[in-house]
Amino acid sequence: MLELKRALDAKGHCLLEMPSGTGKTTTLLSLIVAYMKAHPLDLTKLVYCSRTVPEIEKVMEELRKLMNYYEKEMGMEQNILGLALSSRKNLCINPSVSKEREGKVVDGRCYSLTASFVRARHAADDAVPICEFYEGFDAHGKEFPLPPGVYNLDDLKEYGQMKRWCPYFLARHTITHANIVVYSYHYLLDPKIAEVVSKEISKTSVVVFDEAHNIDNVCIDSMSVKITKRLLDKCSNSITILETTISNMKENDSKRLEKEYKRLVEGLRDATIARETDMALVNPVLPSEILEEAVPGTIRTAEHFVAFLKRVVEYIKTRLRVQHVVQESPAGFLRDIHTKVCIDRKPLRFSAERLASLIRTLEISDLTDFSPLVTVSHFATLVSTYTKGFTIIIEPFEDRAPTVSNPILYFSCLDSSIAIKPVFNRFQTVVITSGTLSPLDMYPKILDFHPVIMTSFTMTLARPCILPMIVSKGNDQVAMSSRYETREDTAVIRNYGNLLVEVAAAVPDGIVCFFTSYLYLETIVSSWYDQGIIDQLQRHKLLFIETQDAAETSLALINYIKACDNGRGAVLLSVARGKVSEGIDFDHHLGRAVLMFGIPYVYTQSRILRARLEYLRDQFQIKENDFLTFDAMRHAAQCLGRCMRGKTDYGIMILADKRFSRADKRSKLPKWIQEHLKDTNCNLSTEECVQICKRWLRQMAQPFSREDQLGISLLTLEQLQSEEMQKKIQQRAQGV
Amino acid sequence: MADEDETKEYRWESGYEKTWEAIKEDDDGLLESNVADLVARAKRKRAALKDTGAIQLGMMRHLFVVVDASACMFLQDLKPTRFLCVLKLLEVFVHEFFDLNPISQLGILTTKMKRSEQITVLAGNQKKHIEALQQLKDLSCEGEPSLQNSLERAMNGLKNMPAYSSREILVLFGSLTTCDPGDIQKTIKSLKDNNIRVSIIGLAAEVRICQEIAKKTGGTYNVLIDDHHLKELILNQVQPPAVAGSMEASLVKMGFPGASPIVNDGTSDSSADHAPAYCLCHIESETSSLMGPNGYNCPQCGSRYCELPVECKQCGLTLVSAPHLARSYHHLFPIKPFIERAQVRETTHCFACAKLFVEAETNVYECENCNQIVCLDCDLFIRETLHTCPGCASDPVTAQMKTN
Repeated sequence: MLELKRALDAKGHCLLEMPSGTGKTTTLLSLIVAYMKAHPLDLTKLVYCSRTVPEIEKVMEELRKLMNYYEKEMGMEQNILGLALSSRKNLCINPSVSKEREGKVVDGRCYSLTASFVRARHAADDAVPICEFYEGFDAHGKEFPLPPGVYNLDDLKEYGQMKRWCPYFLARHTITHANIVVYSYHYLLDPKIAEVVSKEISKTSVVVFDEAHNIDNVCIDSMSVKITKRLLDKCSNSITILETTISNMKENDSKRLEKEYKRLVEGLRDATIARETDMALVNPVLPSEILEEAVPGTIRTAEHFVAFLKRVVEYIKTRLRVQHVVQESPAGFLRDIHTKVCIDRKPLRFSAERLASLIRTLEISDLTDFSPLVTVSHFATLVSTYTKGFTIIIEPFEDRAPTVSNPILYFSCLDSSIAIKPVFNRFQTVVITSGTLSPLDMYPKILDFHPVIMTSFTMTLARPCILPMIVSKGNDQVAMSSRYETREDTAVIRNYGNLLVEVAAAVPDGIVCFFTSYLYLETIVSSWYDQGIIDQLQRHKLLFIETQDAAETSLALINYIKACDNGRGAVLLSVARGKVSEGIDFDHHLGRAVLMFGIPYVYTQSRILRARLEYLRDQFQIKENDFLTFDAMRHAAQCLGRCMRGKTDYGIMILADKRFSRADKRSKLPKWIQEHLKDTNCNLSTEECVQICKRWLRQMAQPFSREDQLGISLLTLEQLQSEEMQKKIQQRAQGV
Repeated sequence: MADEDETKEYRWESGYEKTWEAIKEDDDGLLESNVADLVARAKRKRAALKDTGAIQLGMMRHLFVVVDASACMFLQDLKPTRFLCVLKLLEVFVHEFFDLNPISQLGILTTKMKRSEQITVLAGNQKKHIEALQQLKDLSCEGEPSLQNSLERAMNGLKNMPAYSSREILVLFGSLTTCDPGDIQKTIKSLKDNNIRVSIIGLAAEVRICQEIAKKTGGTYNVLIDDHHLKELILNQVQPPAVAGSMEASLVKMGFPGASPIVNDGTSDSSADHAPAYCLCHIESETSSLMGPNGYNCPQCGSRYCELPVECKQCGLTLVSAPHLARSYHHLFPIKPFIERAQVRETTHCFACAKLFVEAETNVYECENCNQIVCLDCDLFIRETLHTCPGCASDPVTAQMKTN
């Protein structure tokens, strides 16, 4: 809290690592809210970005508790408005639209009911359907702000039902004056969405990125484009649709096209004006210089633009018809497109904007069909805007299936700082926090910012409730490692199997294992099957395996939980970087032990990764190996952190690879794990490991009550105020 | 592990221990604070014992002991094996159990190969149980245990027991997994409905389902640290638990056979009583011998028994002696816990054992009634064995008060 306060005072950015379950969210919320109350001018808004909908809900719960506490202590209503925002899919209450499952479809349907021209048409002709909730909101909602309070998604829906207002638009409207906004990363990082949703957030806000250990990848994903052959085929379809609509319109209503043309001549002046007031979030996709120019003449009329798009699509199609892998810079791509099909850089740059305008003019209500075309236009804009930090890779086939032709064009962002830069520049304080951010110094480098505070906190615990161990060899003294050379070695695989069997016999309830990749998981499981290890394992526990199929995995997870609850016990084999390792918590009996088989290095043969590594080396002086290790260790830590979700919880963490015990790997683990990783537990054999497990589990099973924690990891008010404790806190604060 | 010599194991058989880590020096490089800590820990255990007091305790207990006999009971982390160690401790337990709860009944079940087997039925004869336990030693442990099957079985046995008795199940569970035919949650619910308390002692690690069963049925769940701890845990179960909910009070018919010495005064009816006869507890065993004239005769049917308490085989009457009942009685009115206080100058020695208080002993214990001060050891002894305060008993005034 002290560190956070310092950062707020300094109006700078900070990076905090706090183990999960130690009240990270509460700390952040309570301090920032208190700060907001104390300095209402310096700090007006808190934007809390989390990753998934359940996490957003959790944050809202915490906020509600905090507000209730404030109310109880201060004895009056608090004038603070907090709300959560999610996609239309989660917020829609229109009975016909909300039935849809897919987010994109919901968006499209919503757009077709609420777009301005649809409503205009409705005014003329009652048969045109519109959304009554949006109408309700439009008629009344804008004047009456939401009363202060905490609204999570369900509350918003309820409120919307009550007032017959659309909750989604209500929430979006409310963002501008709400004190606390909780939503997903993408609303801030993805330039395409940020433009729409987050542009009106004032400068004096605090932005918190929770669970931000993957933030660089999110940044990169939001700026990257992947174009496949199928996508291009769809593009061609939509272009024909565009053509027919244009010709139709020409016959019926040529005025409108003319109007659009004029507007484009005038340029995007309005947008420029808006930007000058510094209200809007700078959109990295459309750099400001574009806005000052008018749309070039070549694509100003609708037909010309469609023809232009067609050429672009055809050109990309020809590029995909390659037999070998091509990698080139955006500049090279631009030159090529210029010589081959005579397209300049400038019109390319405007293609995204121009397409949006065209779709508006044509009154096309169903946007869903056009998403491929939109993707291509984004690509065109991006490729012509940025010459640095991006690369284009065209692969004629996938690595796994070199005979099947499946050409893909990757336009990949190499520099994660591009997407996040506007956020850092715009907001006075950005807090990046997660349970696993170690090593801390890497993040400022790859995100290119200068934090004022960078701290890793540890847990104060009444008992040693995590037991990290590095198992480096089997009972037969063969070193265990997932190194490429020893990967296929049966002795290593057998040793891994024996380790799992013995741990399964000693650890109750649930065990989660992480492998480095799906491929590795499959080979290991099949050879375990041959060696009879699977049979041995099933004598102790049931076995579940994560697959790439989301539905299958969630079914496996449900049954895994059931098996743990029933006392049968279960082992879940999953993959680091997979769905399980990222979003799912295995608290208490669901994860008594986590085994990490091998170091989860990213697939190093991937060309995108290689390009990124090269870029990192050239631009930020980060050695390839450093980045790879950093990436592997943060995923390992992420996996290990799955089993620890609070102070009363306990779990074993086994790192089964010889290489973990090297200093460069060990030191990259989060501080709260390192603290418990004793030197004696760093080079164990399977048998030693199981012995330690058994003894430790017995100790942990002893009754553990609240009283034991009091005074150590829990403080009563009196204890907190006592002089001795104050001194201790002072000391610790200075030590950090 | 009644026999200390047998628990001695070779160093290479034991797990990795770091004895030096258990001992820590304080700031001055002395070990004293550590010793004080050990004493304090013992005290805490005592405190845990304390809170069983005050409420109504069940005097008549019906208890099923379920012993895990699955493959994992062959592990040697308890010596010689988990199974043998548990059986041995159970013998002690059975003995103590009947000693403290003479009018209670006990039955033994085992579970292995996903099934549950009945070893002894609910009965009040401790000899039979101990014999059965001794025979169990040759049983081979295999397969997986089934908690549900054994709980169901025990429940069927306990269901029809009278409502005034407390119904309990004690599970000694070594496995970390259970293989059940159906939904164990239903079993837990019906256990709860039948007012059966399930206590579980885990031999390896904390298993969630055991925790849940114990919590929902009002029992305790403990996991051992080593064999001494296990003994302690098992013997804790000897103390009758507080009554859950309201049990109806009712009268129980009992017989009090007198231990009659040989008095040949020539009266006709006594001659039949004192004639040598087979004792009914040993009549089935091959080594049965004619017992001497000493014994107890059932006042209802006249069958002869060599030991009390016992349930009469002929007429089913519970036979106890008055001291047994008295011993049981003190569970109903446990003595008030002594107050812990800092050592005072005036008293230099323990009232009970006359030991001189030394400097190291910081805390002494005072009885609320008679204000006598005893040392820690005596306090424990009074509480666990004596069940009466020597200070109160020796003072005629307070002793009088108590009886009134």
